[in-house]
Amino acid sequence: MGKIVLHRLVQAMMVAWSVGTLTFVLLRSLPGDMAYRIAAGRYGYDNVDSAAADAVRAELGLERPVLEQYLGWLGDLLQFNLGTTLVSGAPVSQELQHQLGHSLLLASMALLLSAFIALPLGILCALKSQGKLDLASLIASSLLRAQPVFVIGLILILAFALHLGWFPVAGFGTALHLILPSVALALSLAAVSNRVVRNSTYEVLHSAYFEFSRIKGLTARQTFLRHGLRNMAVPVVACMGIQLVGLIEGIVMIESLFSWPGIGHGLAHAIFSRDVPMIQGTALTLGLIFVFINTLIDLVCHWLDPRDNRE
Amino acid sequence: MRARLIFRRHLPRQYGHMMVMLLVAGLFTGCHSEDPKKTLTIGGPFEFTSLDPAKDGYIYTRMQLTETLLDVDAQGALRPSLAKNWTVSEDRLSWQFELRDDVIFHDGTPLDADTVIKSLGVARSKPGPLNKAPVTAIAATGTHRVEIELSAPYNPLGAVLAHYSTQILSPTAYAADGTVTSLVGSGPYRLSQYAPPHKLHVRRNDQYWGPPARIEQARYLTGHRAESRALQARSGQADIIYTLDAPSLKSLSSADNLNVHSELIPRTILLKLNSGHPFLNDVRARQALSLALDRTGIAASILRVPGSEANQLVPPSLRDWHLDALAPAEQDPTQARRLLAELGWKPGTSGVLLRDGKPFRLRLITYADRPELPVIATAIQAQLAEIGVAVEVEITNSSAIPSGHQDGSLEMALIARNFGIIADPLGVMLTDFGAGGGDWGAMNWSQPEVHRLLAELGAEHRRHEYLQKAQRVAQLLADELPLVPVTFYTQQIAVNKQVKGFRFDPFERSYHIAEMELED
Amino acid sequence: MTRPVKHLTPTQWAGALILGALVAFALLEWMLFDRNPARQQLDAVFALPSLHEPLGTDQFGRSMLARMGAAIRLSFSLSLLSVLTSALLGVLLGVWAAWQGGWVDRVLSFLLNTLLALPGLVLVLLLAALVPGSFAILYLAISLALWVEYFRVVRALTRTVVIGPQMQASRLLGFGRGYLFRRHIWPAIAPSVLALGAFGAGNAILALASLGFVYVGLRPPTAELGLMMVELFPYYTDAPWAIVQPLIAVFLLVLGFNLLAGKKHDITD
Repeated sequence: MGKIVLHRLVQAMMVAWSVGTLTFVLLRSLPGDMAYRIAAGRYGYDNVDSAAADAVRAELGLERPVLEQYLGWLGDLLQFNLGTTLVSGAPVSQELQHQLGHSLLLASMALLLSAFIALPLGILCALKSQGKLDLASLIASSLLRAQPVFVIGLILILAFALHLGWFPVAGFGTALHLILPSVALALSLAAVSNRVVRNSTYEVLHSAYFEFSRIKGLTARQTFLRHGLRNMAVPVVACMGIQLVGLIEGIVMIESLFSWPGIGHGLAHAIFSRDVPMIQGTALTLGLIFVFINTLIDLVCHWLDPRDNRE
Repeated sequence: MRARLIFRRHLPRQYGHMMVMLLVAGLFTGCHSEDPKKTLTIGGPFEFTSLDPAKDGYIYTRMQLTETLLDVDAQGALRPSLAKNWTVSEDRLSWQFELRDDVIFHDGTPLDADTVIKSLGVARSKPGPLNKAPVTAIAATGTHRVEIELSAPYNPLGAVLAHYSTQILSPTAYAADGTVTSLVGSGPYRLSQYAPPHKLHVRRNDQYWGPPARIEQARYLTGHRAESRALQARSGQADIIYTLDAPSLKSLSSADNLNVHSELIPRTILLKLNSGHPFLNDVRARQALSLALDRTGIAASILRVPGSEANQLVPPSLRDWHLDALAPAEQDPTQARRLLAELGWKPGTSGVLLRDGKPFRLRLITYADRPELPVIATAIQAQLAEIGVAVEVEITNSSAIPSGHQDGSLEMALIARNFGIIADPLGVMLTDFGAGGGDWGAMNWSQPEVHRLLAELGAEHRRHEYLQKAQRVAQLLADELPLVPVTFYTQQIAVNKQVKGFRFDPFERSYHIAEMELED
Repeated sequence: MTRPVKHLTPTQWAGALILGALVAFALLEWMLFDRNPARQQLDAVFALPSLHEPLGTDQFGRSMLARMGAAIRLSFSLSLLSVLTSALLGVLLGVWAAWQGGWVDRVLSFLLNTLLALPGLVLVLLLAALVPGSFAILYLAISLALWVEYFRVVRALTRTVVIGPQMQASRLLGFGRGYLFRRHIWPAIAPSVLALGAFGAGNAILALASLGFVYVGLRPPTAELGLMMVELFPYYTDAPWAIVQPLIAVFLLVLGFNLLAGKKHDITD
């Protein structure tokens, strides 16, 4: 178990290093005077002149050789000094804190909803495999998976926010604002996970130990609960890890579409405005969350199956 | 083991319980103390990130949180606001303002000469319209009298004092170094929730010196995507939505819960050119670009406002600077190609013009805050391709334009310039076309006659001469084309039918919330 | 799994047919119509489908037929190129790591874990921000995000083969590396590689469309399916038949690839 944590810790450091390096390269490759942009972010564009830009240049040491700047950049990163955004001059960590809360709310809601959909649906499909429900769910899942997630969001907006008027179109603040974005995300996640649940349940139901247990005299239900769940839990939870990628990517898209002020929206917005410190901050946060949740999943899988049979 | 079994047996029921609990919890956490019926919701594309009046002050005056010394009416004439009257001395080097004595800021501080001097002093210390004015001193000549002394006569001073950057804040709003730490103004509304960059809530100020507002609460929401804003208007989520995009107009006009207002404002969509660029430094090159544009098509098919083509920079509403007799702009690609051929450009193999082995390639930057700009940029790209100019369109942040101007990297930019940003257009003209050009004005373009005339106009008080000189400047700008006009701007606003008394400010200084009423 | 699957299941045939139809459309458009997808006609915006313009025109009066043809060709070429590159890279490195073992395996696995740490889209976004609007960068970024899957799967499968008795026997008999690869390793990994390829192509198309949505992908006037969706969305009430076209195209492309990948690999995308 310690090995898992150590391994993920190294991965976290690699994430920080790669994000830091990429954003540093981005910083240097942008056209125009970086000192000017930073000064303008602090004082407003109307108020900036070359004197202010020079002051910023001296303050941040933007004239040192590249290697020194790179090391300084990484050093700042290690000390969690993420700088200030170029758009408003506010500290990046402060912005991230605001955004993180919103993103976590959306992500957890989406995961919960997708679990509520996928688990019962998958199990039912496996119990009545090859039946009408199974086929219908296969078709629906294929259809949903062939769309970019923002298309699902768009269709939901058109149907429920516009035509029926049940939910607000975009923004945040009340519980109603949360529903459409989380449902859109949940649907795109559940489309994959319900088939995974179905397949693992199916395998369990038709496995040797299951049959044996039935022969022993236990009812189907007892067998399922006593033997089946734990065995099928492992691939399902592992699949959650893969789902995570879809979740993070979906968050960027859905937050953009619904103007949900989370980290994904922050990243897209920062890239759009070439706000390099913010790009670094949001990409780093997303990456670290990803590693953190993967660690949790690894630990849960280990607890469920100490044999660690999976690759 | 047994406990786990029992848990699992009741799983479906427990599922259900959890779900209900979560839903209920979610609904409660979302509850606001706001009564949605009595809150006016306004949506627009602009974000606000700081309390500094020089940066985002326009949002605070529009939401009527703060006020300026003077106001302007719909025709641009000066009106009293925090200053109840004003006089200009004989030699026109001194302006005296008599302040109202019944104004109280939102924190209870009364307005007096010292508070005004503090605010104006901070505004003057930052580059802006007040800083550009030839002001030598701002002093108190009484508890409620302020005198501004100039080194030279300056006509636009009154309009400058109506500009949002000179808004008057309570002295407690400033920190020791002059930065604004809280938004304490004197307007009919006070700040109740500040959530940059998206949300701003305001509440009625019951101690306002003027007529009391009828709507108790209002809020401003930033909506980045134009489609979302249109959808918010349709669904009733927002009562007033500014800067609608052209495609939504048809569907919104037929919606039965709102009215669409189309208002021509003194804003022009134009191409800012780097007149120092080797491809653009000859006036014939700039004229060729102008001749290639299909303004009629853009106005009719893209903006859906036929007739808004612009043949000059200043719109008709700013009468003094508008050349009524100027011929409409024609699209003449043949003439354009001829002009470019005169300058030595020859058609290359891929259709792009070549000169000394260099292709005629330019980078056009624009921003998406105004939804029509990227669309027009794509159209212009195709129209210039027809005459052999290859344009690369880059949709970026509006801050790229001042920064591109300052570091000289800007080649072409498509912007929507507000010539009415200071109610007296001379202020904008000086900023954009004075010596050295301006961030949103001419770049690397110098015309001594224009600079001289603009400087003279600041002091010119004879009506006839003023008109003559202004028209001459307009003519020179139309001939030399440091900026190429495309179309005039029509502000499209969706107003819910529940809103009574909606009024639009062509100078975009105020949303006039205090005059509106919400019907149930 | 001793032989690559030569026969396709009915669902796979369905997928192949869908893709074939799209390819045929794109090629025929290129050969028969060959109109400029960027040519605007502002007096003919949103013209309804007619004989002259079978798919109508868009908001600038550009031919939707030309744009759809160009966009589908672009999506196909980008996704196939990315898949080929990432497959080549992943298979080569995966086989090498599994066969060689030792430090090669450790270094490559470490590299893999580094790359896996960032979700693909974030990586692509960061790279796309570096050089906005460049086809090459998008191709590079998507390939980078895809190759890790190949590496992992190929390495796992190759390891089982390498330590298995058949390969040991062949080795003892003195057969060379090429033969060993062709006879033992490739048949074991081929189905997975092909399935991953199909999924990868679908994902590449989704990624490209998503990037266009956040204004980070290719720039106007490029005809690309995601960009077209973003540009046409505001007009969904005026001309719904216009935005439906790129929507359906993306959907069919991704569905086709997913079906082609086959049922067995439902889980491992």
